[in-house]
Amino acid sequence: MPAAFGPRATPIARRIVALAVAAAVIAPIVAMVWVRTPWARGEHRTIVQPVPFSHPLHVTALGIDCRYCHRDVERSTQAGMPSTTTCVACHSAAMLATSVFAPVRHSLATDRPIRWLRVTQLPDFVYFDHAMHVDHGVACETCHGRIDQMPVVSQAASLSMHWCVECHRNPGPALRPLALVTAMGWNGRTGGDPLIREYRVRSLTNCSTCHR
Amino acid sequence: MPPLAPDGDGAPAGVTRREFTTWLGTGAALAGLSGCVREPSEAILPYVHSPGSPITAANFHYATSMAIDGAATGLLVTSRDGRPIKIDGNPEHPATLGGSGAQHQASLLQLYDPDRARYCVRGNRRTGWDALAAACNPAALHVRTGARGAGLSLLLEQSSSPLEAALLARFRQEFPDARVGVFAPLATHGAIDASTALFGAPLIPQYDFTAADLIVSLDADFLAGDPFSLRHAHDWAIRRRRQPASILHVAETIPSPTGTMAINRLAVAPDEITSVATALLATIAAATPAERVGESRALPPRTTAWIDSVAAALRAHRGRSIVIAGPRQPPLAHGMAAALNESLGNVGSTVWYTPSPFIDNYTLPRGDDALAHAVDGDIDTLIITAANPCYGAPPAHNLSRRFSAIRTTIYLGDYRDETAAAATWHAPAAHYLESWGDGRAWDGTVSTVQPLIAPMYDGRTAAELLALLIGESATGRALLARYHPDAARNDVLQLGFIPGSAFERRMPRVAHRALLAMAETLAPARSSSSLLLSITPSAAVYDGRFAGNAWLQELPDPATRLTWDNAALIAPALSTRIGIGSGDVITLRTSAGVIDAPALVVPGHADGVISLALGYGRNGTGLVERGIGCNATLLRSNASSFVEHLTLTRTGRHQDLATTQQHWSIEGRRDEIIGPPAGAPPPERPALPLYQSPAPDPAGLGRDQWAMTIDLDLCTGCSACVVACQSENNIPVVGRAGVLRHREMHWIRIDRYLDGSLDDPAITVQPMLCQQCEDAPCEYVCPVTATMHSDDGLNEMVYNRCVGTRFCSNNCPYKVRRFNWLAYNDPNDELAKLRRNPDVTVRARGVMEKCTFCVQRIRHAQREAELAGAPRTGAVVTACQQACPVGAIVFGSLTDPSSPIVASFNDPRGRSSLGELGTRPRVRYLARDRRDEVDRS
Repeated sequence: MPAAFGPRATPIARRIVALAVAAAVIAPIVAMVWVRTPWARGEHRTIVQPVPFSHPLHVTALGIDCRYCHRDVERSTQAGMPSTTTCVACHSAAMLATSVFAPVRHSLATDRPIRWLRVTQLPDFVYFDHAMHVDHGVACETCHGRIDQMPVVSQAASLSMHWCVECHRNPGPALRPLALVTAMGWNGRTGGDPLIREYRVRSLTNCSTCHR
Repeated sequence: MPPLAPDGDGAPAGVTRREFTTWLGTGAALAGLSGCVREPSEAILPYVHSPGSPITAANFHYATSMAIDGAATGLLVTSRDGRPIKIDGNPEHPATLGGSGAQHQASLLQLYDPDRARYCVRGNRRTGWDALAAACNPAALHVRTGARGAGLSLLLEQSSSPLEAALLARFRQEFPDARVGVFAPLATHGAIDASTALFGAPLIPQYDFTAADLIVSLDADFLAGDPFSLRHAHDWAIRRRRQPASILHVAETIPSPTGTMAINRLAVAPDEITSVATALLATIAAATPAERVGESRALPPRTTAWIDSVAAALRAHRGRSIVIAGPRQPPLAHGMAAALNESLGNVGSTVWYTPSPFIDNYTLPRGDDALAHAVDGDIDTLIITAANPCYGAPPAHNLSRRFSAIRTTIYLGDYRDETAAAATWHAPAAHYLESWGDGRAWDGTVSTVQPLIAPMYDGRTAAELLALLIGESATGRALLARYHPDAARNDVLQLGFIPGSAFERRMPRVAHRALLAMAETLAPARSSSSLLLSITPSAAVYDGRFAGNAWLQELPDPATRLTWDNAALIAPALSTRIGIGSGDVITLRTSAGVIDAPALVVPGHADGVISLALGYGRNGTGLVERGIGCNATLLRSNASSFVEHLTLTRTGRHQDLATTQQHWSIEGRRDEIIGPPAGAPPPERPALPLYQSPAPDPAGLGRDQWAMTIDLDLCTGCSACVVACQSENNIPVVGRAGVLRHREMHWIRIDRYLDGSLDDPAITVQPMLCQQCEDAPCEYVCPVTATMHSDDGLNEMVYNRCVGTRFCSNNCPYKVRRFNWLAYNDPNDELAKLRRNPDVTVRARGVMEKCTFCVQRIRHAQREAELAGAPRTGAVVTACQQACPVGAIVFGSLTDPSSPIVASFNDPRGRSSLGELGTRPRVRYLARDRRDEVDRS
């Protein structure tokens, strides 16, 4: 009866053990790196909305301010989405008759809301407040990116806690004059100390600032 | 598994075991892969037509009112995006002045209760309001019940609604011979009967506790258990704060919140109250005819001593005192109280009389009369709006069986309960948060009911049902506007009541001859060997109408800390005498019936009497209340709350009782835990802090420094704060089994400490919540820094970081941290999502939680101030503080000189609980002043 293990058995076994150990070390590292990549965080992911709404057309070509549609942004924690009637108020009947407006027509006819899909989605345990940011000089662009250049809106920032806290520790560089919070592509001097004083901005790093 | 193949060789047909295992493994592997897929995006659903001014995700407040047994209490309800999410007292309404009770707070849960009736049912078939309207419009009713409605009978809920009064008047024009009665299992008429006899008019006494230096309560839990107790507690607290504080003497059976605050409490059986009142009158007013009433009964020495000391105190406070008799007491006790108030000169200053708020002012048949009147004789159609009479009626009435003799019974009720099962029609009742209506508070103030949400389950109000009977097509606000236009005005709805609509005060004279005649009816004393059964309202579920409410089921009873159950409460002395301990199941037998109930020994309970709460032992279809407790109604022979000749038998069985506190003695550590009595010298004790760390660096401290004080001289232990906290902070319930494992989740627990003998203990209650220690022991031991200190003095809990080691809870000396042992919050419960406070994280399984000082409210107040660009003005109010009817809780920032917390936190009565540990709590307890108390030794 031949031997159960040949002369190569030992080196093979060693290699298997070495591979297993390497995999046990590398796999968590790969996973931890992966969750920090933009792909894992959903950045630049395209989401198909029920109506192919174009921000470039409305913001750049027509020059409509963000707050015309997202009207609660200066008062509420939520920016607010436009009601169906807000869309219909501007668009002519002829335009509304086209096929891309079918969900709008359907919404009006059935009195059911248009089902938009959330692009910038924070976890439910984070209490983000739009008004507190916008009213203290943090621009739309800072978090949402160049919306005016996104025919299809995608998430522009990592939305990681690190990204939030960086700014909460040192809010100065993110500030700009209130008159320009909705401006896109603004490259003037960032606010810093004078705006921190003027808008009474504080570094808020208590856990309960965001987690309640 | 598939059956064996018919050829009998034993090999199964179809999938083999090996194939099955293969597919099972593949399935499991594929299921694991699903975790790699990103969840689909959430939908955002904007309005179709924007409602205009209200902004999204903001709270709005609307005034409405809730009636329990007809007495309306003004409330202010918080609405978020169209959903009511929190209930509080209306600060301007005379029945609350801002406070609220546990039942008001918890009524929110019932709005979203999936057990509520959802549609009209006839027999067992689903039908609609149209079918019901066809069956009970005036034309159809005339055909069935005669031209004058002789075959028609109404059994109404006790109501104070002017709208219903107007509709009832129309109904009586349409059906003059119809029978109308009022039924509520706990409705009482002792005060009215006494007033009718003594004053010649049906009146109820009203009190001004702000002016009372001395209060003598005869079985009246006026601080927590009567229809106007929120106002009474508020007024009592105002007077109590003023020095010298008001004095409270109480004679009662169960140590109620009122008895807890007494300086001189007499534990006495409820049927002896009349003798006590009589003896008191004889002692005080020796010159009046009352002396001839005499001491018809020999009273035990402890009672006589109590009467003597109370009489002496009453003589010293003529015109500035109140004698108040409990609602369950017979007319004679109320008569004696009225005579006492008159002879002491209290009438006109602290006591006056008004009509009752009820629409009939007790002219309609009530109680047993109403039940008999409603079903006796040739009745074709019986319409019921009373709350579940088939459960609440004494068994002698045999109501369910009597229903079957009536051709049509129509029941308007919010649950498929016992009455719904017996009736031919069951129509869903609207919740008050879905209703348009009105009502009167106990003092007569006309209060409005406006809806916060459209009816969720096709429910309608009793007024809308009455409107159907008279062929009135209007519903909702139109109905209110037609029959009570004043209550449908916008300015009135905004305020929640009509100012100045309280009844005029009357000061009638007692007819002493009538009092003497009444005194002749004084029954001979019960023999000392005979036991009395006292049927009480449950502090949680009342008469059973809140039995489906899990918040109230899990609310520890103020006197016993019992949850999810009722028990036969017995005195320690009786327990020793008959050899029955807590949890022993005993058989209770009266002339009316027999039930088994677990005994519970309650220190301070009166001897010779057994108390059993109503509202349990339900047979409905509700998931919450099914199988809980025993039905005290089965022992009632009539509507009286007292049943004589009770006999007990041991069954030998034992039942675990889900109490949240098992140990009552403070074990000589009073000074450390609740502080020495106010006025006592501060304890001489070397400071030996267990936790030593340098005081926080002032430079690192935030603008606000939050702190709280709780005044134990005012806290009655009514438990409104517990439910308010539960509602505000999305706190789950754990059920009876959970409480038995000590897993209750309440962020505030009310500890109850007893000093002295078990028969007559001094009781102190201490609400215990996270002390927000400056040097918090929990923070040191968290391995993932899920609990951190904020720069404004809060001990913060980051739920999403918590991994559930429970080290923090182990290290907390106050034991105020709560762990989610199971997934108590169902993430797929769509109704619960509507109810929850969106500003507070819903905690998952395996997460620790605790009081946060309502950090969401603090951050909201700071946000509002920052958005307004001005320093924060006004107070931040925590949920417990807002609910507290006596204002025992003060909260604010120590750095805000305008905040009352600054003075309160530095009050010389203030003590840190377990302060010697060196945790530096941000909660201080203001010690109870016990200097005036009678010596109990």
